[in-house]
Parts: sequence; structure tokens; C-alpha cells
Amino acid sequence: MRNLKLSDLVEAGLWIGIALFLYVYSFEFDRNIEIYKFGASAWPRALLLLVVVAALGQLYQTWKKGEADSGSMIGQASDDGAEDAAEEAEHNTLAWYLWTILLMAIPFAYMLVPDWIGAAMGLEKAGLHPIKMVCAIVLLVAYVFLVRGNHLGGMLALPILFAAFLQDYGFYAMAPLFIVGVMFLMGERRISRMLIVAAIVYAFLLGMFLSLLYVGLPTGNISPFYEFGTGMVNLLQ
Amino acid sequence: MDVLNNFIGGTISLFSDPIGVLIFLGGVIGGMLFGAIPGVSMLTLAAILLPFTGHLSAEHGIMLFSVIYCTGVYGGAITAILFNIPGAPENAPTAFDGYPMTRKGQAGKAVGAAVMCSALGGTVSAVIMMVATAPIANWAIRAFGPPEIFALVFFGLAVASSVGAKSFWKGWLSVLVGLLISVVGLDPVGGIARWDFGMPYLLAGIHFIPMILGFFAVSEIFVQAEKKVIGSYEAPKISVDFPTLKELIAHKVAVVRSIFIGFFCGILPGIGATLAAFMGYNEAVRWSKNKEEFGKGKMEGVISSETANNAATGAAMIPLLALGLPGGALTAMMVGVFQMHDMQPGPLVFLLSPDLVWVVFAAMFFANLSILLIGWMETKTIINLLRIPFQFLAPLILCLATVGSYAVRGLVIDVIVMFIAGAVGFFLRRSGYSVAGIVLGLILGGIGEQTFAQAMQMLHFEWSGFIGRPIALALLIAGFAALVGSIYNAFFSKAR
Repeated sequence: MRNLKLSDLVEAGLWIGIALFLYVYSFEFDRNIEIYKFGASAWPRALLLLVVVAALGQLYQTWKKGEADSGSMIGQASDDGAEDAAEEAEHNTLAWYLWTILLMAIPFAYMLVPDWIGAAMGLEKAGLHPIKMVCAIVLLVAYVFLVRGNHLGGMLALPILFAAFLQDYGFYAMAPLFIVGVMFLMGERRISRMLIVAAIVYAFLLGMFLSLLYVGLPTGNISPFYEFGTGMVNLLQ
Repeated sequence: MDVLNNFIGGTISLFSDPIGVLIFLGGVIGGMLFGAIPGVSMLTLAAILLPFTGHLSAEHGIMLFSVIYCTGVYGGAITAILFNIPGAPENAPTAFDGYPMTRKGQAGKAVGAAVMCSALGGTVSAVIMMVATAPIANWAIRAFGPPEIFALVFFGLAVASSVGAKSFWKGWLSVLVGLLISVVGLDPVGGIARWDFGMPYLLAGIHFIPMILGFFAVSEIFVQAEKKVIGSYEAPKISVDFPTLKELIAHKVAVVRSIFIGFFCGILPGIGATLAAFMGYNEAVRWSKNKEEFGKGKMEGVISSETANNAATGAAMIPLLALGLPGGALTAMMVGVFQMHDMQPGPLVFLLSPDLVWVVFAAMFFANLSILLIGWMETKTIINLLRIPFQFLAPLILCLATVGSYAVRGLVIDVIVMFIAGAVGFFLRRSGYSVAGIVLGLILGGIGEQTFAQAMQMLHFEWSGFIGRPIALALLIAGFAALVGSIYNAFFSKAR
């Protein structure tokens, strides 16, 4: 165990675990194809085998030589700073990872929980709307509470939350909030600047895509967001 | 002399028609702008314009698309260099050295090199296209069947797998992630659903545009956001110092090598500019004495990638015009333009519409030349985007990426997938994996599996069949040699 750390073992275990999981699921499509004797599963299974070999190779190399880079690697500095920044800010502790996973679970909770509640109550799609709005408010409060002290975790979760809201509340209503949110998480605190930049970015996006290019963006499907979205489209297109 | 006469004839037809000139200029500027706006690409513009080409003559329609193709491939380099956001997959390797050059305050030099080399690669490729379409098409199409294309994909992956990763194994794991993502959806032979987990969305496969935007643009925002949060963010220095002629001449070997690689990859259907750019970059690294400088802001990296991807544009017209085989998304749309005018691209086009062919050739030649002029002017202004503080630029880039990924298929889930890819890319980058490798695997995975299946069917499932195909065999041996060399290095070279 001369150069191995726990994180190296976890990393290798994760790759092998993913490969095993996908291997088990590969039996679902392990069917013969008349004109192709390897079938649909040979190629993906060969890739999974290579994943296991590469994960073990990485482990063996780290065990033998430590964290040092192998001699011929190129282009790795294009990612310069990502690892150093993580260490500097203690964004690589178990507590930080758990905190971040909790934050990132919020958008997935929005995508799943209302449907579960709706299914349990036997509701139709339209009947779900009030439940979705209540869930959105509760989860937003949870997000605001959790993001304090972990702005990076908040930054990773915010775009996914924004995307999860797009279908129901539309791009037109959500984009200004998202723009302000990103600026805040990146350290901007001057409210006037945030409002001006949000207005400029929003106007640019609408002018460019809606008026000039006629690119349709999600209008949402929950009232009154839907009316707002379609109103913007009618006004600008 | 025939070629010269035809070219002069095409040039006169192009510039004596005022509407043709307007369409030419519109295509040049439109391609560059759409290439350079993060989140949209020349494909977006082409898709928007496709329905309207029915109102144009066939000559104007095809010419417009070929011009957009040339300038769009260059335009994508600008955002790759300034923001680490490749406008299209073929600009991804440009970001490897272009973006570090921007961080070092050499954005002007990087963009200038991209302008010069895109123009040079594209123009030379256009000339070769004019002179050699018929003989090259005849040779390549006969010599390159599925076994050779599979061998080329294998070779490409073997030599390019280490780009951007911390170790050989992590490079391969990155490529394998991309290859596995490309498996999701229907298998290429029997149409059997794989790893769809009962979700209709996954049946159609994961689209590469949200993946590219997520792994490159979004993960870059997260990396910079982390630096902002901890206060170690440094704004890139602005410079509009273009590379000197001397600096460019010093890289003449890289330029010539990339033109050959780009042109050759461009001819092969389905391979096109993307593998051209990756291989152009990788060969530059392989032949260099200072390998460790690549990825840290070396101009040769930008030059090799941009020369190769533009050199592929002229070559991609060869299978399209000579055989009716589109090599990529944009050339496939060109087939659509032909069909809207009741024409079929293929050998008959040369016989039935020689005027059209030579106007298109002349337009592509001049479009590549105009990259030089308009590129210089555009560069001076566009670099000033870097003056905008990053906390204001980040929401704009994220919103553009949102629009870009949504516009592909009109699916919100593509946006969700993009942001998840961004977060995954962020964590992988922190652990020394390569997002470029993932994207390379994703793009080449589909072609690789399909050509492998075709090759095995052709060879009656006998592996020894590869021995009878010297080109495929040579490429496979070269690929294995590269792999064995890297494994030897990984285990036996001295740690630095």
C-alpha cells in the first residue's frame, strides 16, 4: 500500500462498480441478431472490460509510482488549477462532498417528488400543478438555506435546478432569476449592477433568439408562468 | 489548364451576379458569427436557412451552404480560444492550447494564428479539391471500406486518448466514458435498445451537442466559479498582438502536416473535420521535441488543429459531389438542398451541372481567403469580450448553452443532461480526467461500432481478414504500437 490513498481505492472501486452495474443491465439487451453474430451486447461489454482494466491499471500505477504523472501526457495543463483550487478551498473533504450531494439532490427531488405525490393521490397532470408549485417553493427555501457557506455546491446545483424548472415555469420567467443567482454565487453583491446586467443579458437573449432567429424556447405549462411565456413570444416574434 | 479555365469561369459567374455576391457575403459573415457565438453553431444557421433555400437557385443554395461550412469551422475557434467553448466538435482541440494562451494574455496571438491557419488550410484544401477531386475520390472510396475506417478510428483513439488527462489510464477511462455514452440508444445493426432503463428519451441516444456544451462550456464555468469563490480567480490579460509572420513561418512543418491530415480525414465519409482536428493536434505533439509544452498555451497546438479542420472542409466536398456521400451534418444538409431542387449529388452533377460545381469551388476558395480579411477585423473587436467581468459573462454563457442545447431537439431534458454533464465534467477534471477524451470517444464511438460491425460482416467474422487489407492492417498495427508505447511509459518511465 506504499503510495495508495483511500481516495485511489474509492476511485477504482467506483469505476469497477459502474462497470458491474452496466454489465448486469447489459443482459437486458443480450439478444442475437441474425446477420451479426456478436449481437448487441458484445461491443458494450468489451468496453466495460476495458474500463475495469484501465481502472486496475491506474490503481497499479499509483501503487507503484504514486500520484506522479506519466511521462508522455499532453494537454493536461488545459485543466490547470482545477485540482489546486479544490485543495486550497477544502472542497475535497467528505463533509463538502456530502453537502454538495444534498444541494444537487434538490433538482432531482423536484423532478420526482411531485410525481410520486400525484401518483399516490391519483391526480391527473393538471391537478399536479399546485403540488409542483408548493414543492418548488419548499425546495427553493431548502436550497437557499443549504447554499449558505457552500457557494460552489450551490453553483453546481443551480443550473440543474433552473433546467428542472424550465418545463413547468418556462425560460422567460426563470432566466432573470437564474442570471441574478449565478452572479450572486460568483460573488457579485452590488444590486444595481446585477439588475442592469440581468436586464441586458435577458434583452440580448430575447432579441437574438426570439425576434431574430425564431428559436422557440420553453414557455412553461403552469399558470401564470405559461401566460407570461406565451405573452413574451407573441410580443416579440 | 482545364481546371484553371473552369475556376476563372466559376469566379466570373460568382462575382458577376449581384445576388450571388450578396449571398456569398451573407454566408461568410453568418458562418463566422454563428461559429463564434457560444451555444449556437454553423449548424444552427444552416438548419434555420435550409427551408429558405427552396426559394434560391440550386447554385446559390449550395454555394451558401459551402461558404457557411468554410467560415463556420473557423468561427468556432474564436470561442474555443477565448472561453474554452468550442463552437463545434472540430474546434475542441483548438481549446487545448488556445484557452491556456488566453489565460496567459496571448488571446490575440492565438486568434491571429487561428485566422491565418484556417484561411491557409481551407484555401490550400480548396485548391487540392479543384485539382484532385476525381482521382482522389476514385482511390479513397475504393481503398477505404468499413475495415479501414474502423482501423482509422482505432488509430485516432489510440493516439489521441491521452490528450488532457493526468495519466495514460485516466485518458483511456475518459475515452471509454465517451464510448459508453455513445452506446446508449439503439444498436447500429439490429436496432435493439441498449441501457435505456425504460426511458423513451434514452432510446434516441444522448445527443453530442448537450454533451459538448456541458463538458466544455459548463464545466469551465464551474472551474472558474470555484476560483471566484475562493478568491484565486485571475482575469485573463487582454492583448491584440497578432502573431508575427516569423512566428507563423516557424510552424510551417506543422501547417503542411495538418493540411495533409485534414484533407485526408475530410475525404472519408463520417470522419470529417473532427478527427482531422484531433489527429492534426496529436501528430503535432508526437513530432514535437517539447511535448510537455502542449496544453499549456503553445501556438503550434492552435495552428495544427485549426489548419487540419479547415483543410477537411474542401476534402469533405469530394465524397459529397463525386459520390453523393455526406461526411457530416452540414454536408448532409447540402444533400437536402440538392434534393429540394430535384437534384441528386453524385458523379452526374459534374456532367449535368458543371457551372454549379465550379461556382461552388470558386466560392469556397474565396470564402477561405475572406477569413483572412474579415477574421482580422472581427478579432480586434471580439477579444474585447474578455474585458467583461467573469461574474457577468458566466450567466450569459450558461443561458446561451441552455438555448443551444434546447434548440437541437426542443427537449428540456437535453438542457438537464447538459448541466449534469457540466457537473460530472467538473468533478472529473478535478481528478485528472480529460473532458476532451470523453467528447472524442462520444463522437467516434458510433462510427467505430458501426464500421466494426460492417467490417466483421464483410470479413465473414474472420479476424484474419484484416491481414488481407494492408491499409487497415497498417493502421491497426500503428494504433497498437502507440498503445503499447504508452503502457510501457506508464509503468516503466521514471516519474517526474
